[in-house]
Amino acid sequence: MMIKCVIWDLDNTMLSGVYLESGSQPPPPDQAMVAVAAELAERGILHAIASRNPQEAAEYAEKATGLQFAAVECGWDRKSDAVSRIVADLAMAPDAVAFVDDDLYERAEVSFRVPEALVLSPEDMADAVGWPEFSPPVVTDEARRRGEMYAERRLRQEEARAFGGSRDEFLRYCGTRVSIAPATPADVPRLHELSVRTHQFNSAGRELTEAELAALTGSPAHRVAAVRLHDRFGDDGLVGGCVVETAEDGWTVSLLMMSCRAMGRGVIEALLAWLARSAAQDGAATLAVPCLVSPRNVPLRLALAGSGFRAAEGGTPEQPAAVFTRALDGPLPELPEWASAA
Amino acid sequence: MGVGGLRAGRRGDRAVRRGGGPEIIAELREILAEATGRAELADVGEQVPLFGAGVGLDSLTGTLMLRGVHQRFGVDVADEDLNLDALATLGALAAFIEEHTA
Repeated sequence: MMIKCVIWDLDNTMLSGVYLESGSQPPPPDQAMVAVAAELAERGILHAIASRNPQEAAEYAEKATGLQFAAVECGWDRKSDAVSRIVADLAMAPDAVAFVDDDLYERAEVSFRVPEALVLSPEDMADAVGWPEFSPPVVTDEARRRGEMYAERRLRQEEARAFGGSRDEFLRYCGTRVSIAPATPADVPRLHELSVRTHQFNSAGRELTEAELAALTGSPAHRVAAVRLHDRFGDDGLVGGCVVETAEDGWTVSLLMMSCRAMGRGVIEALLAWLARSAAQDGAATLAVPCLVSPRNVPLRLALAGSGFRAAEGGTPEQPAAVFTRALDGPLPELPEWASAA
Repeated sequence: MGVGGLRAGRRGDRAVRRGGGPEIIAELREILAEATGRAELADVGEQVPLFGAGVGLDSLTGTLMLRGVHQRFGVDVADEDLNLDALATLGALAAFIEEHTA
């Protein structure tokens, strides 16, 4: 399992000392750990903090290490609870995180209560850069900027909590822009990466190779779209896409996918509205989205239900599936004002 | 009726309550206000659509809503309702919960 996020303890792990026992001068960062973390960040792996310290310790660590943290949990409750909260906040599977702590008790407690997580000591971590769990096969530009984008996400979330209005009002306030365009060959590596990494918003549950995607982008019987997202907090780049088989009688979306980072930001609704409008314009009678049905992609089913799709049950008990369809003869959904299509 | 029996209808930690439609609705309003971060939804009508304009449930707030319902009532809506029709209105959701906790 590829690790997507490393959750760091601070005292005697990311810092070379104990924050609260260092008087006026906080302990300097542990340079070996910072170097490892910086290398992993280059590969698109996120970092987070779980520390028994006041919030200021995390702010200090962020400044002193120059690293960007996607999530911060400071407090005095169980480390395993902090790890679980980070996993939920980042919408990751628990087996996609590693936890690094110098304290044997903390490592045992996290191992016991979050058995899926990869639990490591700082000594283990020193040569983790060579491990397959920390070596993603493809590192795209989006991946290299991932740490920055998650740090922006933290700021956006803090503002959202303070903001009173509806989600749409908040999206407008953020200056959200979603753009949907035909995928180009340059988009293929990132689309492949999304097909591997997305689970909550992935209809087919099957990865497409770069060769398959490249062939599809050039196929007259298919349309491949790439979806980009930015707002005043930052540029999230290519966050989603879809592959459509455009037959005469109807459009079938063989893959629909979106990064969970874009969840709640109006992207999936924009993509579904664009699909319905484009299919209708093309003369298709129906729009179908075959989906694996699993507890992991419930968010996608929510989006489909919210956009007027319906399904009958299908598949096998081992691999349940359903085809979500939408008629195109009635009123079509408007493309949200924050979205544009090329 | 489960969606391919991915998970047996698990019961949460909280005691499962029976009957008491208005009581369920009141709890659902609380869960909705919490999931959306919008206190004004604490008095949304039973028959107001949750998707679309108005409440504007989306995949993020919908996921939080489903999680809240599972925690409080022990009903895994997504496992038993492929089309998530139970999320049409608070009234529909309360009826679904009553039916699945009876």
